[in-house]
Amino acid sequence: MSAQPLLKIEALRCRFGGLVAVDDVSLAVREGEIFGLLGPNGAGKTTLFNLISGITRPSGGTVSWRGTPITGLASHRVAALGVARTFQNLRLFSSLSCLDNVRVGLHRHSRQPRLQALLGTAAFQRRELALRGQALALLESVGIAEAAGRPSGDLSYGQRRRLEIARALACRPQLLLLDEPAAGMNPSEKKELAGLIRRLRSEHQLSVLIIEHHVPLMMELCDRLAVLNFGRRIALGTPQQVRHDPAVIEAYLGTAAPGPPGSSPGDSP
Amino acid sequence: MDTTLLVQMLLGALLGLSVYLPLACGQLSLATPGFYAIGGTLAALLSTRLPALAAASPTGAAVASAYPLTSLLLEMALAALLCGVLATGIGALVLRLQGTYLTIATISLVEILRVVSLNLEVTGGAVGIFAIPQPFADPAGFALFTLALLGLVCWLCQRLAVSRPGLAMAAIRDDAIAAASQGIDTYRIKLLAFVLSALVAGVTGVVAAHFLNAWNPRLGNFDASVTCLAFVVFGGSRTWIGPVVGGLALTALPELLRPVGDLRLIVFGLVILLGPSLFPQGLINPALLQALARRLPPPLRRLGAGTTAEASR
Repeated sequence: MSAQPLLKIEALRCRFGGLVAVDDVSLAVREGEIFGLLGPNGAGKTTLFNLISGITRPSGGTVSWRGTPITGLASHRVAALGVARTFQNLRLFSSLSCLDNVRVGLHRHSRQPRLQALLGTAAFQRRELALRGQALALLESVGIAEAAGRPSGDLSYGQRRRLEIARALACRPQLLLLDEPAAGMNPSEKKELAGLIRRLRSEHQLSVLIIEHHVPLMMELCDRLAVLNFGRRIALGTPQQVRHDPAVIEAYLGTAAPGPPGSSPGDSP
Repeated sequence: MDTTLLVQMLLGALLGLSVYLPLACGQLSLATPGFYAIGGTLAALLSTRLPALAAASPTGAAVASAYPLTSLLLEMALAALLCGVLATGIGALVLRLQGTYLTIATISLVEILRVVSLNLEVTGGAVGIFAIPQPFADPAGFALFTLALLGLVCWLCQRLAVSRPGLAMAAIRDDAIAAASQGIDTYRIKLLAFVLSALVAGVTGVVAAHFLNAWNPRLGNFDASVTCLAFVVFGGSRTWIGPVVGGLALTALPELLRPVGDLRLIVFGLVILLGPSLFPQGLINPALLQALARRLPPPLRRLGAGTTAEASR
């Protein structure tokens, strides 16, 4: 008997005019797992993230959260359920400091009595200070605490990716959607990132849905993987299963050129 | 500088703040003169048509002929209520629009209100309403009252900047999609800013109507929209200090330039043109505030923490 999945996507479709970006995709993310989404550029991975997080409305199919349908729910309501995300092409608040970027993530958890906020009472100041402390701790847990006061635009690419993760964690999510978190990172940074994601999963009791192009990283990091191509799910399973799936090999390497029978090198023992 | 000009400058600063509030969350709304006109017309109508308000003077008042201050405050409360309700309704419609479309919709709102008041008998048509009673014997009284009002609005803006909705507004200004994905109800925050903007404009209209002694539909037209926007563009839109400085300076300038005669319009035009080209972020920009903050003694620095930390670039 398996427990109810955290996030379940059934027959999800999204079309932009004549283009079907996500075509009949189904998958389920279980509690506590790191679930990977692989696929060539334009396969519909980011669109799938946008459909889950309420940025784009699906043309058909359902998304459910712990068994409750949430299809087409507004972005801030999805976040309130416990789904936080990062963005492929980084959407940081560029005029705010790194600390304030994370404080924005704390938005839903920083409500204060209006009158106290208006008057700036001692209790208000104390709680604001505590919130700043929380934000700083999050920056520390992704390793960029020293940049707290700097504008987010000053950070290096890899640091910005970490800042986005810290901001997403500030929402206290149960499911974290990471859109190409290793893009633009060098091999050692990628390795560190994998360690960070694993550590954050156990520290914050997270489930993670991750999009990444770096196949070795995904094979090592993910419990299960789904592969998309042209909007369709072409494979689903453990890294071992996916690695040997003929449809995946075809999508990544193309079909073997039709040659004379028996001429392919793998044929002879 | 004469006191009458000072009152006009303070009113200009208030209108600048009214344009600034929606802009602080990235919404360019030019509805300010519309709500300003609603406040002004309401004050003009109430104070000239309702003798009860003028007679409400407490017995034994020093100046028997003056319009009672309590009636003025009552008019302001009514204008705030009316503008607040209207802005909630109108905001629900226009805040669904984005970018230029929102701006165009708010310009239309100003035009609709102007044309309606131009053609209504009760508002006096094109002639307007005259002989609006004076609550203060001299401009100094107006100056003090308007200064207190400006102080109150500035204080509210500062509190907003350092609390939760203010940070959410800054986040929406930078990236609305990212803000929503952090759990911020962007529509609610935008509506809050729009309603606050309408309240400030409406209350300012009430004071202006009494100060100007007369009210007509031309006071809330498209020209006024552009003038108020110039306050913010010139002064800077990153903190509330910018629109205040812009409103004060740009209202004073045409009067201060009177000695140069006909050249004054040219000089005024040059200032409007050169200001934004030399200071793209406005006169009061984050870099300037940070430079100032570094020179302040630590206790004062902490006081200004909200305004500079919010805009720490």
